[in-house]
Parts: sequence; structure tokens; C-alpha cells
Amino acid sequence: MCIAGVDIGGTFTDLMLFDEDEGSLVAHKVRSTPEDPGLAMISGIRELCEKAGIEPSRVETVFHGTTVATNALLEHRGARVGMVTTAGFRDVVHIGRHQRPQHYSIRQEIPWQNQPFARRADRKVVTERLGAGGGEVITPLAEDEVRTAARELREQGVEAVAVCFLFSYLNPDHELRAAEILREELPGAFVTTSAEVAPQFREFERFMTAAINAFVGPGTGDYLLALARALESMGIGGELRIMMSNGGLSSASTAGERPVTLLMSGPTAGVLGGAWAAELADRSSLITFDMGGTSTDIGIVCEGQVTEASARDTWLAGYPVMVPMVDLHTIGHGGGSIAHVDDGGGFRVGPRSAGADPGPAAYGLGGTEATITDANLVLGRLVPDRFLGGTMGLDAAASEAVVGELAAEVGLSLHDTAEGIIRLANEGMAQAIRSRTVQKGIDPRTFTLVAFGGAGPLHAVEVAAALEIAEVLIPPFPGITCAVGLLASDLKYDRMRTVLQSGAGIDAASINRELAATAEELREALRGDGIDADAIEVRASLDCRYLGQGYELRLPLAEARFSSADLDGFHQLHAREYGYSRNDPIEIVNLRITALGARPALQPATGALRPEATAASGSGDGWFRDGGALVCQRTAYVDRAVLSPREEVEGPAVICQPDSTVVVPPGWCGTAHESGSLILRSEA
Amino acid sequence: MSAASGTRVDPVSAAVIGGALDSIAVEMGHKLARMAFSSIIRESEDFGCAICDADGRQLCESSQSTPLQSGPIPGYVRGIARRFAELGSEWAPGDVVMHNHPYYGASHGPDVGFVVPVFVAGELVGFAATTAHHLDLGALTPGTCGIVDATDAFAEGLQINAIKVVEEGRRNAAAWQLLRDNIRAAELVIGDMEAQMAACQLGAQRFTELIERYGLDLVRAASEDLMDYSERMLRRQIEALPDGIYRATGHLDGFEELEDPAYRDLVIEVAVTVSGSDIEVDFSGTSPQIDRPINMPFEGTVDIAVYLTLRSILLDSDREPSVPTNSGLFRPISISAPRGSLANPIHPAPVIARFCSGNIVADTVMHALAAVAPERVSAGVGNLKVVAYSGLDERGEHWVLMDIIEGSYGGREGKDGLDAVDTLYANTRNNPIEDVESHYPLRVVRYELDDAARGGAGRWRGGRGSVREVEFLAPGGFSIEADGHRWAPWGFAGGADGSPGRIVVTNAGASRELPSKVPYHRAEAGDTLRMVGPAGGGFGLPAERAEEARAADLADGFKIGT
Repeated sequence: MCIAGVDIGGTFTDLMLFDEDEGSLVAHKVRSTPEDPGLAMISGIRELCEKAGIEPSRVETVFHGTTVATNALLEHRGARVGMVTTAGFRDVVHIGRHQRPQHYSIRQEIPWQNQPFARRADRKVVTERLGAGGGEVITPLAEDEVRTAARELREQGVEAVAVCFLFSYLNPDHELRAAEILREELPGAFVTTSAEVAPQFREFERFMTAAINAFVGPGTGDYLLALARALESMGIGGELRIMMSNGGLSSASTAGERPVTLLMSGPTAGVLGGAWAAELADRSSLITFDMGGTSTDIGIVCEGQVTEASARDTWLAGYPVMVPMVDLHTIGHGGGSIAHVDDGGGFRVGPRSAGADPGPAAYGLGGTEATITDANLVLGRLVPDRFLGGTMGLDAAASEAVVGELAAEVGLSLHDTAEGIIRLANEGMAQAIRSRTVQKGIDPRTFTLVAFGGAGPLHAVEVAAALEIAEVLIPPFPGITCAVGLLASDLKYDRMRTVLQSGAGIDAASINRELAATAEELREALRGDGIDADAIEVRASLDCRYLGQGYELRLPLAEARFSSADLDGFHQLHAREYGYSRNDPIEIVNLRITALGARPALQPATGALRPEATAASGSGDGWFRDGGALVCQRTAYVDRAVLSPREEVEGPAVICQPDSTVVVPPGWCGTAHESGSLILRSEA
Repeated sequence: MSAASGTRVDPVSAAVIGGALDSIAVEMGHKLARMAFSSIIRESEDFGCAICDADGRQLCESSQSTPLQSGPIPGYVRGIARRFAELGSEWAPGDVVMHNHPYYGASHGPDVGFVVPVFVAGELVGFAATTAHHLDLGALTPGTCGIVDATDAFAEGLQINAIKVVEEGRRNAAAWQLLRDNIRAAELVIGDMEAQMAACQLGAQRFTELIERYGLDLVRAASEDLMDYSERMLRRQIEALPDGIYRATGHLDGFEELEDPAYRDLVIEVAVTVSGSDIEVDFSGTSPQIDRPINMPFEGTVDIAVYLTLRSILLDSDREPSVPTNSGLFRPISISAPRGSLANPIHPAPVIARFCSGNIVADTVMHALAAVAPERVSAGVGNLKVVAYSGLDERGEHWVLMDIIEGSYGGREGKDGLDAVDTLYANTRNNPIEDVESHYPLRVVRYELDDAARGGAGRWRGGRGSVREVEFLAPGGFSIEADGHRWAPWGFAGGADGSPGRIVVTNAGASRELPSKVPYHRAEAGDTLRMVGPAGGGFGLPAERAEEARAADLADGFKIGT
């Protein structure tokens, strides 16, 4: 049996095939086909199978990381969305939190006002009202008004409808009944409810999440259906599973109903791929550092657990998206980021990027401004004839010319300028990591930095040094870690529900009824996906706070059951997070239930994780800072494929492989780990 | 010093240290927001965080802050220094100073500052400071907003003038006892204060680490460069404006219900003089101060309204995203206002309800510049309303909820105005309805755009105001500070004026209009309060509005200009 992981990015589609019988892994990369992303997947799988010497029909399952929903959101190309909402509250999604995105701007636009998902004419109100005391019905749903609204929306040509009622997270009945009527009146339309996608309080954020789900729904559904058909036509009859932003795989049908859960699909797979490689090397507290051409994604893994973002931090493309997500922080630094001096004489790297086209000057495709990649080349940290395994030559003279122009402008030498670009970018990324970790009460110094993406291994050591992190791990295939991550994931479904019970009003029996019912619902979903009952694990936690506080802390529950004694743990949790606890009533805000359907662990055979050879050898000039001064040092070029387990590489060295380049600065030493990863440690 | 640009350190080090300073302020903001108890801090984000140098000059601010909180921080630090000089006090390591005196740099009483000094090798090198709006400080009626009947500064609540609440690491128990005994909802307020102190201490620690890493000289030099940079960026924009004096007049409702004309239809006169790369803003002709608290502290409110408005127009972050906000931005600007006027009152004139007055200052400064920078301004901005709801719970404890009702922006060249949004020098967040109803005996009956308003027609129309209607489910009360009931936001370049705001209270089926200032007003269960936000002014001739835009307004249910 074989499984394939396919990660479709903007420029490249990465593929990885795992043969469970042989324990072998085969990697492949093809150009993406943005106009029809499925084309690259189909041709890529065909080529991957040829490379592996197997028939496509041996591929039983395809795991997929997709940007189809993300791109629809970023490019604002989605369905015409209608909304049915509580009378008196037509403009909740327009007013938002009444805060301007920018403090100091008269000319700014507010995304949800300027580019609404459902414009006002398509937002219909119906009489109904639930109360805060447990979702009690204050005003019954006027079903005839729903029907009228549905007919109007049909005439207006909407393709998708979001049903958004106040307090539906406490009682979904009105929303569900309205959705039923809408489906009758609008056959074929995509209908979603706010409590289905985000059963949590804060109406603006919940309604927006539902509106986005509707906006990307029809397009994502069509895409997934077309993929499934294409796979079938190739004789791949097995399952198509999709990576969700929560770090779990979902069946294609569930993903099609809740496409808003796919918005971070690709980068999330990267975190899992990094975590998997690190686990093989017995590392479990990690900061993942995924640096590509235009941006860098940072994730945190604590004791093997990928951390989740709190609902307040989950904004994407300027919109709130209230669904469970791996805590990923994106920074606008990538290999293509442009360095420049602004009007006031300030030295800047990014946010403008040369992207893939024209790309850095080094690519020789017409880039005329100095980028991070050009700076790396000037400093001898990229080897011109060994880039991407030698398949793409780099133009060192072009890089020197553009960095030289910048040098003349800032009044520094060529190499000081190049090093300044790298230092500013690295410090910026280190600050972002520091701010992200300390916010969560994590001391980054005790973590391993897991670096991947095309550019991550180039920058990892200096970023780590700025954070006083002692160890860097480079996975075996840093440039295709996302595809690896897909293969290493489990099925995972999350549910949450806002309860808002506090002090003496906490009703353990009702909480346990809710937990048990939800757990059973999720077990059923996993069984439906073909997971054995004994491979299902259910975890539960409560989001709690002191009554009146604004932010919740997550309190895990043993055995997915609640007893009031569990709340004692909250005081300790609070003291650990904030340094003090109080003798105040505790409020339970949300219940969270996660069901995991474990899949067999991805166990590659010994030696399966060896990159292809690049024929790198010899040495060249490398510029590194040593005790404050920037000096040129003889730097060894090493082919990663020839490193045997436990072999050491002393810095300064550049380790080449087809999908990335690893820089080992002076004072650091790289060791090839038995698991296939490289471990870099400071010798200081 | 590099000769070419007049900088002290190389541009890379300056950029690296600038980034590090920003991330310290952001970290302080996260700490404060996460630890805070009241929704005014955690939901509305009505707080500020900054690091200042030893002279009180602001080096950075947290991006989560509201401008009206972070902007005044240098004034707090200077005010404390002035008070210390009077008292013969000095900063010592381990101190935490609490301060809210509006005649010593504070923005107004409810915005309490906490300041922690940073010492390196025995030398005072800077301060970590936070400000935040507190729910109660023991004024004559519950809450800290809508205290519109305070007749002097002593009626506004506790005046805390540079008090060391922690002295060399020891808590000043008497000071805390005094606070606890004089504040309603004391647990909540003191919980928020603890959060502010923790954020300051974190900021001080991070700033110390930064200095240890790069050395004091380099950090100082980079700080100077950063301030010079921001100054240079602003001067370049000012230079591009033609020299001249540009004037505008802003109007305040004042107290509509009072008979004495001295309380009604007050004016803010603004004269902006552009001369080379300098701007001078003068308030001569502004109405005299009154014995009601809509006077504005000159330092802390008037200056901030001017700075932030000029910055938002001339260095609009939509166009200039990377100009750091620091004290360098204030150097090209000088401000003057006659002593004893609304814009420069004399102690003990009351100031607690200066929020809406300051927004009119900001709007009038923009109005003055509209003549020379029409492509950068908006037409008249609709003002805000601040409401304090309060009552006693079953245990006899006070509850207080502060709710800000949004205004709207006027039309802009090429763009309609922003609808229903916090305006100009304020940028808070509203309270979610589901949060309000879960924690207070209130029900929100309506929250949507005011589609019945007809004002604001223009080629680019003014933003729509909102309607927020709230029902009391139990007996309680409310107080309100608002403005813009008698004066509609100004139209520009042929655009129509916007629509003024309104407040309507309904009791036992009978409705009546309320003025824009409402001192504590008792409410019975079933009473409702309907607040209508103003619509912004139009920009350009309504006849020139694009046909599609007109059709969209109609389809969306708006009645602008009809």
C-alpha cells in the first residue's frame, strides 16, 4: 500500500510517496498550475509513481494540503453570499468591533466594509431572538419571514447563504430550522450556520466566520469534487483527505462543508512535518521556522503537542476567523524580500517582495533590487552552481551589483550591507518568535529551532543565536516538509461550545452531558471515515477565566469528564501563566472536544531519508561575523547526501541539497543524526 | 556619525534596535490585555504602553494601544517629574508611580498611568509606562464617564498626583487601602491596576535587557536616530504644503438644556500656520472654560488631538506604513491656546468629560487643512458617545459597563467615508452584544446602521452612523457624554453636511429626546435607551456621484440625500 502527500503552493506543488511495504519515501516537485490546481496534482502523482516505479492504482490514499480556500479569500474571489440574521442586527458584520484597522490613517479602508462577503442588500433580517440565559427563546423564529428572505435571495442570485443569529452558540435550533427552510427554497445553494462553524460567543467574529465559510464554500466544494473524480480516473480509488488548519486530516466531504477550516492547510502541514522529523530525533519542544520565498511561518510545539491559537488571535487576511487553528504566525520576510532605503533614510527589509517573478537579481530573470537571497549569495552562503541541486544557476555578479548599489546609498561596504540585510531580517524574525513565545509563557531558550522551507536552513543558526537557542534541527527534506507533514498526520475533528457558567452556577451534570454527546458525535464521524473504534482518542478541555477577566486559559480534563474539583487546577494554571492566582469565582467559557483517529505511524526504513546528491564539494569565500567584525573565511561546501550518520561538519560550512541550503556559521557544528535530520549546535 | 545622513549609528543597528523597542511595547500590551479584568481594557483596548527615555521622550508604543492612551504617556512622565520637583521626591529603583492628574500631564482622571523607572548601573535611563481607562475612581456618580455635572476637578474622583504605590520594591499599603476604600467595583479596578503594573515591570525588564545586549550608548544613539527619522519624515510632508495660515471653526453642543448661553454652542477656533517645515496650531478665539467638565487639559488632550490628527493626515499609515510613532513626530509642531479657554483651562476647572471636545479639536484641525490638502482629508467626522450603565447586583455590589457608540468619517476624495467606527484620536473596540447580555442585566435590542439618515450626500458620501438601542432588564441607571446633536459634520467641496446624532429614552411607552450630556439618570426595568450616531459629511457635489454608487446605496436601503 502507498500513500501520497500533495502540498499545492503558489509556485510549486510538492509530493511525497510513502510505500508502507518497503518503508521507502520518494519526493517530487512540479510547477503549480494556479488556474486549475488539480492539474499539477494529477501530473505530479503520475510522475511520482513513475519515479517510484509503481502503478498509480497502488496509491490507496491521497493526503492534501490546499490553498484553494485561502486564495479565494485573499483574492476576494468567491460566491455571492446572502445572510439571514436576527432582526435589528443587519449590520453586525459591517460595523464589526467599530475599530479601525490602522490608528493613524484617514485614507484607509476597512476590509469588511470595503469588500463585504455579503453586501447589505443581500443581508435579510427575520424576527427571532434567543436570550443569554442559556439560549432561551425570547421571540420565536418567524418561519414565513425566512421563506420570504430565501425567495428574495434566490431572485437576487446568491449562491451561498450564512445563517447568523445572536446566541446561537447556546441554542442552534433557530439557525438549523432557518437553514432547513433555505435549503428547501434554494436547492443547490451552499447553506451554513454560524453555530456550526464557530459555536462561540462574540457575534461579529462568529458571523464573519460563517460568511467566509459561505464565500469560499461553493468554490472549494467544486474543487474537491473535481479532484476526487480525477483521482478516480487515474485508478486511485481510495480516500482523498484534506489537511485542516487545526493540524488534523478531514474527509473531503467534511472539508467541503467547512472550508473555512482549511485556510491554513498548507503551512500547518509544515509544522507537523517539522515535528515529525524532530520526533524521530527525540526532540519534542520545538519552534518551527518555515521560511520560503515571500514569507516565514512560525509555529510552536510543546512536549510534542502542536499549540493552538487562541480564538482572539486567529485573523487571516484582515478578517477574524474563529475556528481552531494551529498557532502559526506569519512574518513578511522571505528570500525574495527587498532591502531598500526609504525616503527618510531608514534601512528596511521587506515588506515588498520580488516574489518568484522576477525574483531576486541572482535568478537572472530581471530582478533589479537587492533581496535577502542576493545578500546570501554576496556573503557566499549560497553556492551559485549548486542552487536547487544545480538545476538553477545563480548570477553572483548580478547580486553584487544590486547589493552594491544599496551599499553606496547607505555608506557601508558591499559585505557589510549584505550582512546588514541578513542581520535585520534575522533580528526581525527572532523578535517575532520571542514575542510569540513569551506571550504564551514559553522561554524559547529551552526549545529546538526546526528550520525548513527553501530559505529556513540558511538563516536558522543566526535566528537561533539571537534567541539564545542552542540547537537547530534541519529535517531531511527541508524544502518539502509540508508534503512530509501530510503523511505524518492523524484524522482530527474539533468541536467547541460556549457555555459561560460561573461560580455556583456551574452545572457539572450538564457539562458532562454535553461532553458525552459531542464525543459520541465525533467518534461516529471518525468511524464513518473508516477508523477503528480502538484507534480513536477523545480529549476534552475547558476554556476558563476568573469571572470578569477577558482571556481564557485552557484547562485539560482527564478522561474527557468534568468534576468541579478540576477547577482547582485552574488556579495553578493561572499562577503559572500570569504569576498569581485569586480567590475569585471561575467562569467556564467554552468546552472543547477533540477526537483523534490515529493512523499507523510513518516509519521510514533506515536510509530512506537521504537526500539526492548534489555533487557539492570544495570550498569558497564565506563572510561571517566573528567577535563583532565581519570577516571572510574559507568555507567548506558539503553535499548533504554524502554525510554518514554521526558525521560532523564544522562551521564555517555550507551544506547543499536539492531543495535547500544549510549554513553552518563559525562556532557551530552540524551533525548528521541517525534519523536523517541534521543537528546544529553551538560549540561555545 | 555618518556624514551623509547626519545619523549617529549605522542604519542597520538603528533598524534592529527600533524593531526591538517596538516588540517590547507590543509584549507589554499583550501582558496588560491578557491580565486585565474589565471589558474596557480587554475588549475595548482602551489602554496604552510605551517606553520613554530618561527625559520622558517616547521611543515606541504598543500597536494594540488606542492613540489617545499611548500618545499622552510622555506628558505623564513629565508631569510626574514636575510634581517630584515640587515635593523634593526622586526616582529610585523598584518604584512604581501612579498618576492621573490632568493638570500634571495626564489625559484626564480616569486614564490612570503607571510608570516604572529603568536604572542601569545606578543611572536612570528611561521609563516603562502604561495608561488605561478605569471603570471607577470614586467620582460623584458611578463610573468614570458621563460625569457631566462635575463642577470642579475635585468632583471628578480621586486625583492621584505622582504617588509611589510601590516604593523601592515595597508596596505602599496605605495608598492601596485608600484606593480600595474610595472606589466602586474596587476588585475590578485594582485587578486592572495590577495588570498595568505587571506590564510596566515586564517592559522595564526588557528595556534593561536591550541595553545590556547593545550597550547604553548604542541604544541612546539609535533612539535619537529613530526620533530624528520620524521628525524628518513629517517635516518633508509639511514642507510640501504651501506656507500660509489656514483657519476653521468647530462647534460643540455644550449643554443644550442649560439656559445660560455661556454653556451652549461653544466654539473651537483653529489657526494652522504652515511655515517651511514647521506647523503652529493656535486656538485663539476658542470659548472660555466653563464650570462643566468638557474643558480639555492642554497637555494630554489638546496636544494629542493635534499631533495625532496631523500625523494621520500627513503621514497616513496607509501610505507610509513604517514611520515609528515616537516623540520625534511632535518636534515640527507647536501649539498654543489662551489660558482660561476650553483648550487650556485653569485648575480646578473640571475636565473629566473632555473626550468629545477633543474629537472636535481633531476634526477642526482637519477642516483647517482641507483647503491645502483636500486629497488627504475627509469631510466632517461624526462624534462619539460614551455611556456608563450601572446598577447594583443581587449581592448589593456595583456593576458598571462603559459602552462607546461609534461616529463615522466624512467622504474622501475617491472614497466614501468609513461607516460606524471609532474616530480620529480614539480607536477602541465595542463590547460584543453576547458579552454584554451574558454579564449585565441589559439587552441590546438593535445594533445596525442608521439607514434613515439623509445627510452626507456627496460625490463621495459621508459614512453612515449606527443605531444602538439598549433595554434595562433590571433597575439601574446611565450617564452619557456625547456631542454632535446640534451641529452636523461639515460637508466639503460641495458635499452636503452629515446628520447629527440623537439620544432617545423610552419609559413606560413614552419616548423623549435627551441632550448630548446626561448626568446620572435612573432607569427602570423595561426602559430603553436609543443612541443614534451621526452620519459624516459629504465630499464633492452630490450630482457628480457615480450612477452605480447611487444604485448601490438604494439597493442597500439608504436614503442619503433624498
